[in-house]
Order: sequence, then C-alpha cells, then structure tokens
Amino acid sequence: MTTHLTTELAGPPPAPGIFDELSKREIRRAVLSGIAIPGYQVPFGSREMPVARGWGSGGLQVTLSLVSEKSRLKVIDQGEDAGVNAANLRRLVVNHVGCEEETDTREADIIQSRHRIPEQPLRDGQVLVLQVPGAEPLAGIVKEMDEQRRMHAEADYAKMWVRLYEDVVHNGLVTAAAGYPVLVEGRYIMTPSPIPRWDVPKLNGSQAITILSAGREKRIFAVPPHTHVVPLTFEDRPFEVEHTPGAACRLCGSADTYIVQEPARDGQFSTWACSDTDFCRRRRAGDAPATVPHVQPTALQAAQPSEPAPPALVQPAAQPARRDQEETA
Amino acid sequence: MSPVRAPGGGQEAIVAAERLVAEARFGGGSGWLELGQITERLSAAVDRVMGEGGLWAPELAARAFRQAQGDVLEAAQLLRAHRSTLPRLGITPAVSTGELRVVRRISSAFRNPPGGQILGKTMDYVGRLLDLLPEEEGRARAAQAAAAQHGPSHSHDFAHAHAHAHTHGPGPTPAHRHPHRPGQPGPEPVPVPSSAPAAPQPPGAGEVERTPAHVLAVFREMGLVAPPSGAADGDPEPCDITRQPIRPGAPRSAWLQTMARADTGSLLHLWYGSDWRPAEHEVPGELRHGALPVRVEHPHTGRPVTVAEVRVSEVQTFHSLTRESGLPTNLDVGYGICFGHNERKAISMAGLDLLLAHHEGAADLQHDVLLTLDGLDSTGYVQHLKLPHHVEYRSVIERAHAAREAAPDSGDTV
Repeated sequence: MTTHLTTELAGPPPAPGIFDELSKREIRRAVLSGIAIPGYQVPFGSREMPVARGWGSGGLQVTLSLVSEKSRLKVIDQGEDAGVNAANLRRLVVNHVGCEEETDTREADIIQSRHRIPEQPLRDGQVLVLQVPGAEPLAGIVKEMDEQRRMHAEADYAKMWVRLYEDVVHNGLVTAAAGYPVLVEGRYIMTPSPIPRWDVPKLNGSQAITILSAGREKRIFAVPPHTHVVPLTFEDRPFEVEHTPGAACRLCGSADTYIVQEPARDGQFSTWACSDTDFCRRRRAGDAPATVPHVQPTALQAAQPSEPAPPALVQPAAQPARRDQEETA
Repeated sequence: MSPVRAPGGGQEAIVAAERLVAEARFGGGSGWLELGQITERLSAAVDRVMGEGGLWAPELAARAFRQAQGDVLEAAQLLRAHRSTLPRLGITPAVSTGELRVVRRISSAFRNPPGGQILGKTMDYVGRLLDLLPEEEGRARAAQAAAAQHGPSHSHDFAHAHAHAHTHGPGPTPAHRHPHRPGQPGPEPVPVPSSAPAAPQPPGAGEVERTPAHVLAVFREMGLVAPPSGAADGDPEPCDITRQPIRPGAPRSAWLQTMARADTGSLLHLWYGSDWRPAEHEVPGELRHGALPVRVEHPHTGRPVTVAEVRVSEVQTFHSLTRESGLPTNLDVGYGICFGHNERKAISMAGLDLLLAHHEGAADLQHDVLLTLDGLDSTGYVQHLKLPHHVEYRSVIERAHAAREAAPDSGDTV
C-alpha cells in the first residue's frame, strides 16, 4: 500500500540527469513560443545548471531538453570544438544523455555555440543553440524593463534608431561590434548574441532553427527557418562586416572566413587563423565549400517594419560591405 | 572521438584541472572530512549554504560545502543544481511562523516582551578573542562530550537537531521526523560557553515559552501597525521566483523570496550601503531562531501531516515612517526570514523589505533587490568573464580601427 502510494505520488522514477523531465517540457514550451513569435523574448523558469550562470546555462537547458540518445551534438566556443568551455559542456551533455559527439557541422543535429555561427551553411533539420549573456538589445538605451517591454510591444524603436544615428554622427560609423542588433521578420529587434557581424547575415533565411537562450536573464528567443533577419543600418550606411586587408588564415589560407589574430614567431599578434576549426580543417582537406555564401540575396529583402520605425532606413545593403573594399579591389 | 580530443584541446586541460581539484579534496595528509563534523562544527556555513541554495537539506549542504572546499556560493550552486535534477512533487500548505518553536528569541524593542527573551545560542556576547586552546585539549573536550552524548541520558537537544539528519538516511529526508512536537515541553536552551555572561533567564526557568506570540501582536493591539504592503490585494497566491522570471513591479512575495535566497554579503551591502535608508534606523522588534514544521496534505484524507522540520531565522523590524502613499497608522513592519541561523541576513532582509514598502514602486530599488542579489547570478556573471572572448574582441578592435579611419570624415554625415 505504502509503496503503491509513493509511486502514485512520485510518478515514474526520475532518470538521473541534470534536470527533470517536467522542467524539460517547460523549456520546450518556451522554445515553441519563441519559434511562433520570431525574435520575441519569452520569459521562462530558468533552472540552475551544473555550470555557472553566464557559462552557458541557458543554452545547456535548451540543448538538454532537445537532445536524445540518437542526436549528434556539436558544441563550440569561439568557433572551436576543443576549447575548454565547449569541451566541458559537451562532456556534460554526452555523459548524461549518452548522445553522439560530433565536430563536423554538416553531421550535427544540434549545435550549441557561444559567439559563433559555423561557416558551413546550416541545413534543414539542424538546430543552432546560441548562448546569450545579455538578452535585451534595448538594455543600453533604456534601463527600465517595463519601458523595454513597451517599446518591443509597440515596435517603438525610435530610440534605437536615434542611438545608431548619433553613433554615425559622433564616430562616422556604427560602432556596434559583436552582438549587432537585428530586426527579425520586420517586427522585433533582437540581439543575435555576441556573434561577430560576420555571422549576422547567416541568420537571414537560414534553413536551420536558431534558438537563443539566456539562463541568467531567464529568456528564450528564436529565429525559425527562412526568416528575414536584417542588421539595423541606414540606406547610405551599408552594414559592415569585419575585414582586415590582406589577412588570411595561416593554416588554410582562407580570406572568406572569420579569422582571429594569433601570435606569430616574433611574439606579435601578426598572424591569423580561422575561428571555425572544423571548417578550417575541412578546407585543408578539400572537404569544404570553396566559397561561403554569406548572403542569400533572395532572403535579404526584409519586410518593412510596422509603424513607427522609419521604413526607408531599414533597407539593407544587398551585400554586407567591407570597409576596405576600394583598397583591396 | 579523436577529433574532439585533439591535441592542445580543452579536454585534457579540464580533465587535468579536475584532477587537481580532486587532489585538494582527497589528497594531502589529513583524514577524510566527515559530514557530521561539518554539520556540527561548521553549522553556520551549512546553514548559509542551505539559505542561499534555497533548499533545506543539512547533509547535502554539508556535502556541497565539502565538495566546494569551503566556498559557500559554490556550495549553494551545487545544491541548486542538484535541486534541478529532482521533480517538484507537490506544494506544502502555508505554515504560520506563529508556530515557530524558538531556541532563541530576542526583542530590542521591549525589555521584557510577552513570552520573554531567550538568548539561546549566539556569539553576540562571546568575546571575539582568538581561542588559542591547545589542539590536544580541544580534542580531549570533544571526546569527552561525545562520550557523554552517547551515554543513556542523551536527550535530543533541539539546537543541534539538524546534525542528526545524517542518521536518518541520505538525502533531504522528506520522511525525517523530529522527536519534538509543539506542545511537548522543550529542552533547555543550549548552554552558552563559560566565557559568556549568563543568559537572561526566561521567566520561570524550565517553563520556557517555546512558541511565544509575536511582539508585533502587541503593536497590533495598540492599533499602531500599518497594513502590510499589498494588503489591498487580499491574500494572493505567492509568486514563485524559481518558475517565473521576475522584474521590477513584482509583488512583495517575489522580493521576499529573492532576498531569502540572496547572497548574504550582497544583501547586507545593499541594505547597509543604501541611499534609500532614512536617517533614523529601524528597530528589530523581534528576532527568532527556531524550527518550523513542514506539512503535506495526506493524499487520502487531505489532512496536513507534518513530515519534516526546518530551522529558520525570522526578523520583524519596525520603523515609524509614513509611506509615500500616506497611511493613517505609522508603524511599518519589515520582514526577514531565511533558512538556518543567519541573523545578519534576516535583519538586512527585513530592513530592505521596509525600504521597498516605504519607497513603493521605486523601480531602481526593486531592480537592485530583484535582479542583483542572487549569488548564483552575480558570481555566474563574474565567472563568465573568464571565458574566451577573442571572437568578440576581434570585432571590437576592427571597429576601433574603422572609427579611427572614419573620424576625419565625421563632419559630413549630416
């Protein structure tokens, strides 16, 4: 009788894991809401994970609620599979779920990433989970959370535009570096997480689902496949991606991938290497596309935002510009 | 999975780091640190871990504290992450803190409040002198006490009742039952160390009032107490901060929960360093430390059944401030409660509760209380700074170069 009662109360015994099944369902519901309203920040009951908050606890919750034993999981940090944080998170999930480790972007079902979108264009059926340290793109513009919510609700992004305009006036260009604000499906302004500007066009019209999750801030948002994602800029100020004249990966020679500086023999940061280690390795092995389609031109025709954002201002550049185009041409 | 564990990769490094941590836990010359030692001798730390972890589980908290090598916040993180692995099976009915069975109860507002003052176990009056007792003598004393405790006359002294958790089996022991029930004569207060001044004896020693009425009741009778903040809303279900993300404008239940789980140091600082604090200070009308029953509804009879007890510190603090909304009665009450014996936290919390009620709707203050006090959040953010940021940094440097190039042209942008 007592045993029976206990079972009745407790349900089936919980599988030992990082969090319980009911919680995973809650996360999946939040993810579905996010997919239904692209770019909208869905509050959720973020759980405490076995990693520090700020260490990918949000992404981890999403990954754990989606991953199964059959899934092939790729985890990267700064584009690297072998970085300490990536290795740690991957180990955690694999040990608890028993899924397959994967480094080849093409083979992965779920890719959890911090600060990068892989160079390899993602395909239908893949899920990209981005870790988000600060979910609110308006945080630096208005402090009050109620006001941020109102601005999103009414698509009142005038202050955001003014901020960008002032930036241009003061500095001659938009100084936003990583985490460049984007307009999703002509409706919500969203942070793409601190990915470089280089990666921003990859979100536009992507075939994969992108889920962005902030554990500490308890918000999940998403970009469903084939969604317009347009970086905020002005007609006469083309969106600029990172580019350094003459720089190329010292390993694979690529100049059309995101590269980061590395110390050379002289101890100076004078050489460059791909941040996406999987793509770099495959380039060297001749197993990667020779060109990377950063922009799918058909998808870049963003829907116009509703009132009161000035419609003329969000016409995106057809191609992301590079600041030194003239010099390198 | 050779590509993942490529040479020079992170996998080897983290495994090596893990080994070094394990060496600190298991290596060295000293013996294994027993859970009983931690719960008995380092009870303040265990209580703090439970308070900040938001989970009453003395044995697990002791494990966490040991695993974290004495880092309270790290231990609280372990406890909370452990909690995430468990399903929520039910919600207990509310318990009035009027049922709190005290081992310590003082009032700074009255010399002799109804129910009396019970000094109980406190370091307040123990001289802050570093005890240079020879180790041998310490060991001998502990051995003597242990021998006495295992004698037939051992009574379940309630003040160390938490130390018994480990005898009831592993886990937070939902079936854990204490021998004491309200109504039973309570044990004597914990003897204070001989170097301390004698505790003021409650009226008629041996007839200690274990569940005294709150001092607040006296003020209520006088008709001096302002209604609690949000009283106009009736008695709404409390907000659950572990399931609902909260933002400024959240009800009082949300800020009280947040503070109850807050990092003690952050909470203390926010209250102590607050610009919102009025010149005259509040008076803790009552400070209690004792046990509260945890009940669940019996699945068949529907009647509440006591299944466990938790120890809490509770503070009700008073201040004669008129609120901005201008209420006719002017004695305002701030409330603080947290797991375990942590008076510093409960007092700070009650002080902040007063401020939040007094400055009703102050979004800045609410922001600080709701969003900056959680130890896991703040330390998590600090820890994240240690992660690599070079991808982002390249982007930042590129913008700095670009801005420098663009600077001369900035005049023609208008």
